[in-house]
Amino acid sequence: MKRSLYTVLSIAGLLLAWWIFSLILEIVRGVVIIPNPWQALAEVGRNVNEISRHLYASAIRLVTSMVIAFLTAVPLGLIIGYERQFDRLVTPLIYITYPIPQVVFLPVLFIIFGLGDAVRITVISLALFFQVLISARGAAKGVTQEDLASVLSAGANRFQVYWHLILPASLPAILTSMRVSIGLGMALLFLSETAPLRTLHGLGSFIAAHLAFRRDIAFAGVVTMAFLGLMLYILLDVIERVVCRWRYVKRRDRPQWPLRLKMAKIREWISKKFSSS
Amino acid sequence: MIEVKGLKISYGSADQRVVAVDGVEFSVDQGASLGLLGPSGCGKTTLLFALAGLITPNEGSLSINGEKVVGIRRDVALILQNAGLLPWKTVWGNANLSLKLSGRYPAENAAAVLEELGLAEFRERFPSELSEGMKRRVGIARALAITPSVMLMDEPLASLDAITQERIQNLFLELWQERRFTMVFVTHDIEEAAFLGEEIIVLSERPARIKTIVENPQMGSLDYRGTSEFYRIVTHLRRVMEE
Repeated sequence: MKRSLYTVLSIAGLLLAWWIFSLILEIVRGVVIIPNPWQALAEVGRNVNEISRHLYASAIRLVTSMVIAFLTAVPLGLIIGYERQFDRLVTPLIYITYPIPQVVFLPVLFIIFGLGDAVRITVISLALFFQVLISARGAAKGVTQEDLASVLSAGANRFQVYWHLILPASLPAILTSMRVSIGLGMALLFLSETAPLRTLHGLGSFIAAHLAFRRDIAFAGVVTMAFLGLMLYILLDVIERVVCRWRYVKRRDRPQWPLRLKMAKIREWISKKFSSS
Repeated sequence: MIEVKGLKISYGSADQRVVAVDGVEFSVDQGASLGLLGPSGCGKTTLLFALAGLITPNEGSLSINGEKVVGIRRDVALILQNAGLLPWKTVWGNANLSLKLSGRYPAENAAAVLEELGLAEFRERFPSELSEGMKRRVGIARALAITPSVMLMDEPLASLDAITQERIQNLFLELWQERRFTMVFVTHDIEEAAFLGEEIIVLSERPARIKTIVENPQMGSLDYRGTSEFYRIVTHLRRVMEE
């Protein structure tokens, strides 16, 4: 209950900041440069049918790309992280290919394979793939010798080491990287939907189509994109609460420091530091 | 029966070789208890891991019940420091882990052991929800679930408070007497060695070599800690360790 109240408050704060910003821009430049949030939200309501079609098309693209990135990057990342020789072989390759902005492949792939969704999904998944791969590798490397001894002494074979130890130990970091890559995924989704085809379904093309003459409608698309992002964050949170349930139980093995006490300690430390000098 | 002959274990690359165990020899009869007592970092855990089949020695031989140790054995249980519980598995998942991975034992074993150790009502809890003492008991449950003939323990009671430590030492003693497994435990705690070890091998600083073997025939009762023999053994062990 309290949590959802905070969510509402933070969204209200964001809308307020947007409103003030658009007002300032309007006063300084004398014309409406960006619509205020109420206009944008009203346009969402007015175009709800059209926007939901675009939202659906975009969501399918992004979610498909995320699932593909997860299914390919997680096994590979865990194997690279755990198998030392494989790591030495593959990691240089990752470090060379990772910094290339995947979006440069977009026009080339469009030329080769046409303007279909396969190209869009390939490029988005490729970008997300590296994010997830690198965190999965790092997390698998962080598995402790103690935990390894624990499952090996229980008689685990190699597959069981992955299934019972390396995957569950790495999942929190992997899910965090999935969350981080929502932003990158959105940017690539937008680019891939705007560039070549204006008749395409998708929030990117919807925004691009209205950006020049109906900025209020374009911003209705922006709002919808933000909504899509929020839904994906919530989805990942729910997934984490289910698959990493052990992280959400009440801990008993460590003393619980009340936050206020911690702050008091920090303040005390600071005041000592300054009074002595 | 466990036999260890001329054991030498080293690790690291050729130019930075660290010898952890150097020329250790001993034997333990079936159903006996042996304490390996040595300072921290002396290589005693390495020695125990070799017995568990997790490490292959460079020289020498290890055999359990007449068979050379070449890997994990189904009749050998290992209890690790800090219990070795996986935080994402419940008490049940942890206690049943060895059985589940091998797929050979009935799951009732783990249930019976949890019941016996008073953990049955905590089956669905995660390790982080348990006290340190309870975590150790879950570790013990996991080991007992495979009904081992050999129980290897790596500092099973390190970093516990004194009362919990004594309680779990008592539990070990009772389980050992009841189930007659061969017990080999590693510790840096002199009193623990004197309470649980029928025979105590004192190891040197790294590389671990045998300094002396101390017989402790009067151990085996819960009130042994209060006897003068216990004090004599403890004093003797302390003197040998300090040499």
